[in-house]
Amino acid sequence: MRLRDARRIETPEHVKVRLEAAGPGSRFLALLLDVFVVAALATLFASGARIVLPGALEDLAATTFSFVLAFAYPVWFEVRREGRTLGKQALGLRVVDARGLPIGIEQSFVRNVARGLDFLPAFYALGGTVALLDRDGRRLGDLLADTLVVRDRRTQTGALPAAVAATAGLEVDPELARRARNRVTLDERELLAALLSRAGKLDERARYDLMEQAGDHFRQKLELDLPHLSGEALVRALAVAVAPRR
Amino acid sequence: MTGLERLLGEGRDRWRRLDELLDVADRSPEWELGPERMREIVRLYRIAAADLNRALALTADPEILVPLNALVGRAYRFVYGARRAEPVRGRLARFFAREIPAAFRRARGAVLTATLAFGLGAVLGFAAVAVRPALAEDLVPGAFFSASPRERVAEIERREERISSVREAAQFGSMLYTHNIQVAFLAFALAAATLLGGLWLLFWNGLILGAVAAAYVLDGVGLFFVAWVGPHGALELPSIIFAGAAGLVAGRAFLLPGERSRGAALRAVFPTVWCMLVGTAATLVLAGLIEGSFSQLSAKSIPYPVKIAVALVLFSALAVFLFGRRGDDEEPAS
Repeated sequence: MRLRDARRIETPEHVKVRLEAAGPGSRFLALLLDVFVVAALATLFASGARIVLPGALEDLAATTFSFVLAFAYPVWFEVRREGRTLGKQALGLRVVDARGLPIGIEQSFVRNVARGLDFLPAFYALGGTVALLDRDGRRLGDLLADTLVVRDRRTQTGALPAAVAATAGLEVDPELARRARNRVTLDERELLAALLSRAGKLDERARYDLMEQAGDHFRQKLELDLPHLSGEALVRALAVAVAPRR
Repeated sequence: MTGLERLLGEGRDRWRRLDELLDVADRSPEWELGPERMREIVRLYRIAAADLNRALALTADPEILVPLNALVGRAYRFVYGARRAEPVRGRLARFFAREIPAAFRRARGAVLTATLAFGLGAVLGFAAVAVRPALAEDLVPGAFFSASPRERVAEIERREERISSVREAAQFGSMLYTHNIQVAFLAFALAAATLLGGLWLLFWNGLILGAVAAAYVLDGVGLFFVAWVGPHGALELPSIIFAGAAGLVAGRAFLLPGERSRGAALRAVFPTVWCMLVGTAATLVLAGLIEGSFSQLSAKSIPYPVKIAVALVLFSALAVFLFGRRGDDEEPAS
């Protein structure tokens, strides 16, 4: 029962660090921001070149600058700013090596050079399709460079407060709350949020089956002996218990 | 007091300290950070990694695990990420003078394979048009096709020079090399992702070149063709082959990594691939500038033998620079 897979890398100290792949939406927005920055810089340079450089060289300088910038901008930022271009930084994303380490200049160059292939036949159709098929959402450039784009900070339990609002006033047994906080994993918290936010849209039978299935899972996992609680009541109680504390 | 409460009580201050030190490290170069603080980061990272392991055993609470995981991940990237201490200028000189030629020599097998694919296409294209001249119209793209190459040459030699100023030459040259570099990068990516696709692209480009050459030779203007394509082609054609060869090196690691993991195989070839791509792009800039100016000049300005001699000198210089020296070819540490 997982909504999104996360890659776990193991450090030489045998500690497992979790890397969560960024979604296509945030990546696309970050790309748009970066394209805007590059276009703005190129336009600024072209205007400056027209004033400063002799006529014979201004076109050469402007074309070369905008071309070099298209590659140099992402490579420089990804290598010097720990995998974050300005767009990625704004969206809370970061490119890392598949081992979780910062990417090197060679990797950054390869992933950006391969962008041309990812773009084909238009608007990242090929790269987008490959990313949808890859479990870490990697486009071809990422696969060739052995990199992935990750979310810098997790916010996936952010959906919980809204889901919990529907259960306002629900008192949760302190022992149940303690077990929930310490044993319900991140993936399961995502599941709780998703179950509650979508419950209203399901037909009655599907809703009952799904909630009972989830309830059984949590009863077993948390070693609960609460036969009077329905699956849905348990899901709601758990959501309240694990909702981020203020 | 539970184990978790004890861990939080003990850990909070050192996690905050590690976070602060990493903030400083982000802002300052390594030498400014100093050995004391470097050692402190490494020590605190090791403790935080052990804390994360303990926390994972004690709780699943994301309010505890998420920030600790992020902190350990950040410190891990800092501690184990490679940083180069060499000054940029020294490194640049060594990169262009030694590392790029060494990379090409390491990849000579791939360069040979790519050359064979291109050469086979060129020979077949030439032979096909030589046997059946009508095929030229099918094989040669519209922009390069001419029903009568002889008439086209006569027209070029009759009219004024196409490029008449430095501005025009610079404008045309920059347009050409940005386009050619994009095509070369695409050839690289296609070869890296598919191997066969890259070989097919090289074969097809060779086929077109062979067909165009045959059309000019059959019409008695072969010398013009060599003088027209030669000066920039001496650098441009090898560059397209080199980009494909770099793709073959990456593609082999990507698709046929052998006993190593795909990531390990790719990381082992990145230094070679990166040097080849930068070398290719630099050569294409020179080729584009030549194509935008010198190559466009007719026999009125530069006699054909001079243009062909320039082509030979450029090709020889490139070949000697990249493949002439021996030694220094060992696989660099990745």
